Parts: sequence; structure tokens; C-alpha cells
Amino acid sequence: MPGPVVGIIANPVSARDIRRIIAHAGSLQITDRANIVLRILAGLAAAGVGEVVMMPENAGIRLHLSRAMMRAKSAGEARFPELSFLQMRVTSQAADSAFAARLMRRMEVAAIIVLGGDGTHRVVVSECGSVPIAGVSTGTNNAFPDNREPTITGLAVGLAVTGAVPAREALVDNKRLEVTINGVREIALVDVAVVSERFVGSRAIWKADGFRELFVTFGEPGSIGMSSIVGLLAPLKRSSPFGRRVIFERPETAPFRLMAPIAPGLIEQVGIERVETISFEIPTMLTVPAGTIALDGEREVTFSERDHVCVTLRDAAFRTIDIASCMSHAAAKGRFVEPAGKLPFFSHQQGGS
Amino acid sequence: MMSNNPFPLSKEKLLEAYRTMRTIREFEERLHVDFARGDIPGFVHLYAGEEASAAGIMMHLNDNDRIASTHRGHGHCIAKGVDVKEMMAEIYGKSTGACRGKGGSMHIADLSKGMMGANGILGAGAPLICGAALAAQKLGHGGVGISFVGDGASNQGTFLESLNLAAVWNLPAIFVVENNGYAESTSVDWAVAVDSYVDRASGFGLPGITVDGTDFFAVYEAAGEVIKRAREGGGPSLLECKMVRFHGHFEGDAQTYRGKGELEDIRANKDCIKFFQARVREAGVISTSEFEAIDKEVARLIEEAVAEAKAASLPSAKELLTDVYVAY
Repeated sequence: MPGPVVGIIANPVSARDIRRIIAHAGSLQITDRANIVLRILAGLAAAGVGEVVMMPENAGIRLHLSRAMMRAKSAGEARFPELSFLQMRVTSQAADSAFAARLMRRMEVAAIIVLGGDGTHRVVVSECGSVPIAGVSTGTNNAFPDNREPTITGLAVGLAVTGAVPAREALVDNKRLEVTINGVREIALVDVAVVSERFVGSRAIWKADGFRELFVTFGEPGSIGMSSIVGLLAPLKRSSPFGRRVIFERPETAPFRLMAPIAPGLIEQVGIERVETISFEIPTMLTVPAGTIALDGEREVTFSERDHVCVTLRDAAFRTIDIASCMSHAAAKGRFVEPAGKLPFFSHQQGGS
Repeated sequence: MMSNNPFPLSKEKLLEAYRTMRTIREFEERLHVDFARGDIPGFVHLYAGEEASAAGIMMHLNDNDRIASTHRGHGHCIAKGVDVKEMMAEIYGKSTGACRGKGGSMHIADLSKGMMGANGILGAGAPLICGAALAAQKLGHGGVGISFVGDGASNQGTFLESLNLAAVWNLPAIFVVENNGYAESTSVDWAVAVDSYVDRASGFGLPGITVDGTDFFAVYEAAGEVIKRAREGGGPSLLECKMVRFHGHFEGDAQTYRGKGELEDIRANKDCIKFFQARVREAGVISTSEFEAIDKEVARLIEEAVAEAKAASLPSAKELLTDVYVAY
């Protein structure tokens, strides 16, 4: 019986936008992205995954991977699983990630590892269905994916999909926000921001005087991006059974003001009118008649007075692999110890230097 | 009225941007027809489909700012303010042309407008703009230099050396890569080892960003930031505009390298002028009749430009050696 197949979607064009000019955001080179994938592959192989399928792209990741895999094979090394690429047309647009996720779901891959920022993860979640995902931060704004060494992500995903860690410990349900505009649905994993500009333009949002409303699934005090506003006002965990909504006001007239890291390198003062809790499954209408909706930090859709827009928080909308939990389970069970099950316990005194 | 205008430009500026893009489109589509009829000497490389890049960038510039263009330079010239009738006459090789009819399509220049020239040599504009940016830096007038290159020319040593020089001297230079996907007939996927120009810029220690070059507002917003940065002493940067071209590399190109239905698709779904009109009209800032009025004026201008170019005389033989070298 063939073992589990893991999918990898590595966005080659994340971290390329205007925030590199306005806020000194970082950019990750293509060769670095390829190296991240190689480290993930090494982790997957070590955990017993024999087959991986990737989204193709023409930006250079595939080329670098192929060279490394060929070299490993010619050297007789078995460090990596078998790697293949989906048969699909490459457009170098976000639609590639969505299409790849759809194909992987149809193939019934056991999990999808995503390289990108919040935006890339959002696109993948829109199509992956019940296939669990694991994120690796390679974007500009990375509130959703963990900032973790990819080798560990590969190991943990491998442990989860091979059954070495039971699903109840390996998988976590996540909330998400759904925005419907005249019946057409968009999603966000972390935040939906409403800004006054009515053009998508260079996509990033950074002009605080245009902020009107914000909805979040979670907001951690140590987060970056729009969700940090909630993180610093009224923190909310990923697991909390509700979301939050913030209504902005001009700083000069607002009841209170907050300094928040709204983008990498950009700490701005925002005026807050009020913060509310939002419940699952209850559509919320916007207070502003026209503007642009930013999903997970990027302007995506404009709307006007003629459009019907509402935002709804959904529970258990998609699953992620809990990397820390998988590794804890593996440690507790001595998964990487030989002989298996023989754990070398030491007392404090014996542990020594 | 501005309170009802959700764009970062006034209505007058939006009309100006539209007029620029429409003028470029009308100019190029007319050349496409006239060249096929055999009316025009030499080669032409058309900019149709790429208008948002030239217009979105040049809206931020003044006559102190210099640009260096490419073999596909008509759009840059028009957006930088070069006289359209003089341009048409130049392309027709007539004595009333911007360069007295001796430059042709690939050598149109107008230094009074800060237009240092279209350029038949790929990648040759980048070192020129380093010189212009150095002059602006030394003179301290806040000017910037902008070099345009295509994705193909971005592989030229001149371009890469210029990135280095601009970074070393912290020049107020901006390198715009107009990536229309093809270096003549070669797909960018086959000819550029580092497909991300952001990576390429990083290699020389300067920031780079990528924008949708078919979206005027994306280009305008991004260009505003990189130009502001350069004016304030922040140094050089690279701006990649991902775009499409509606015609072949040159007029007469059979375009066998394109996918089936590709041209029809990009004309239907990637037209920067259609995008612009839809957004501005939907927001109620410019009406259909206002767009149509500009369309008529531009059509008349191009018709007059062609008629005057055809009626003008060729340069005489005794002018053969004038304007060839600059006398110091």
C-alpha cells in the first residue's frame, strides 16, 4: 500500500510588493525559497514520507530543486522523498496557488505545506477543503504562518501524515472570516480591513488615515500587521470561540489612540472608536458605504453604495497541523530514539554538563 | 469634489492620465496601420498595451527629471511631454521631426523635456541615466533619472553595471523593468536566470518591488514611493512592471511564439486603459461622455499629426552631418 503523499505550494512571488520601499520589509530570494523546500523535504523523508508533489512555477525554485535532487541521487544519498510536479499551466499569478491546492485536494494528498505570507495561505485555504495545511513564513506579513525552521515543519508534517502522531493531537481547527459582496464569497484567515480608498493599486495597506473597520479571527500581542491592533487592545487567541471588530476614527477625534505595528517596519498611530466581539455565523454589515476590502493585509476588492457587503466569522473552517504538538508527542514517545521505546532518562545530578 | 474622489489624483490629473494613455494607444495603433501600408521607413516597436507604466510613472516627473528610454520608446516620449506631431514627423523621417527626421522611431529625443532618447541599443539607457542622476545629485535640484529596460535588456551587462554604480554612489536613479514576458520572441522564463527582479536588485544592495503594470493605480502608487525616496536622498531602486504588449516585438513580427488565443486574451482581459476607465467611471469621477470627448480630441490630434508628417519635406542632403555630434 503506497504511503501518504504530501503537497508543497511554494509561492515564488510573495514578498515583492511596495512594502520593501515604504517600510523596509524583507524579501526572500528564490534560492533561499528552494533551500527551504529542500529542508522541508529532508524533514519529511526522515519522518517516513516517500512521495511529495509540488506546484510548478517558472521563477527558479523548481530548477534549483531539480539540481539538488539530481546531485543527491548521483551521490547515492536518500535524503529526500520522490518529488514530482503537478501538471498545470503556470501563470505566475495567485491563481496558480489556488489551482494547485484544488488539484492536491482532488489527489487526496495527506497535507499541504505552504510557503508564503498570509495572502498565500488564504489562497490555498480557499481551495484545500479538509486537507490540513502547515505554513512556513516567506511573505511580507506573516501573522498566520509560524516563524519556524522548515526542517521541523517537514518532520512534524511527516509525523502527522504517517500516523506517528494521532490526528487528535496533530490537527487543529481554525476560524476564518468570510466576506460576501453581492453573494460572491471571499475569505480571510486573520483579518479583513476596510479602507476608504477605492482602488486596489499596489495592494498593501499602510495609510492609517484611511482605515475604517477591522475584523479579526485572532489578534496576538506579538503579531505583525492589522491584527496587532486587536492584539494590543483586546488580545484574542486562535482558539477563542469568537472574533473581534474594530471601528476606527480619526486620531484627532477618537476616544483613544493606539500605536500598532500595522506592517513590518511600520508603527503607526490609529484612532479607535470602539472594539466589539463578533460571534460565529452572524453576518455583520459594514458601517461605511464605499471603499476597498483588504484581506489579510492586501487590498483585494472595491465596493460602492450599490453593493451588498457583509462579514461573517466561521468556526472550524479549515485544519492546520500543530507543529509544536507533533514534536512534543514525538519526544514523549521517543519517536526518534533507538532502540525504540527505550528512553534514556537522567536525573538532574546525572544530567550534568 | 475631492471628498467624493476615492483616488489619489484629482479629477484633472485623472483626465490627464487618461489622455496620455489614450494618446499613446491611438498613436501606436495608427503606426501599426501606416507601417503595414509601407508609409513609414525603418523599424517600429509598438508600446500599445503598456500605457499604464509610462503614464503612471511620468505623472510624478517634471522637466528637471530625466528618462532614458528603449527601442519601444513612443509611450515614454508621449508621457514625458514630447510633442506628438514632432514625434510622428520624426518617425516618418521628415525635417519637421523632433530630431529633424534623422533619428526615426528608435532615436526620438527632446532634452528640453528631460527625454534623453529612445535607444536602439538594448540596455544602453541605464548608464546614461546614472550620468543624469549623478548630475541631479551634484546640482542638488532634486531631480531624478529613470531608466526603462525590457526584461530582455535586463540581462545586459550595461544594466547590471548600472545597478552597481547607482548603488555605490547612492544616485537618485530608478530602474524600471518593463516585463512584457518576451525578449523579442524568447519567453522570460527561458532567458532570465533569476526571474525575480527584486532578487536581482537585492544582489546589488538596492530595494526592488514588483507591481501589476496593467493597473495604472498600482504603477502610480509604487512609482510615487520610489521617486519620492530617490528625491529625498534614499538612493536608487528597481521597479518591475509586469505587463503585456498588444503587438509583436517589431511590426511585421508573426508572433509564432505566442500561445493560441493569447493575443485575444490579453486584449480582452489585460487592457490597462479599459481597467482605468472601468474603475474611474464606476466611482463616478469621470463620465463616459468625458472619456469620449478625450477620445475624439486624441483621434483628431493623431490624424493631424499623420497628415502634417506626410506633407512635410524630407531632410535635405546638406543637413546630413548636422546634429550628429554635440559641439562643446
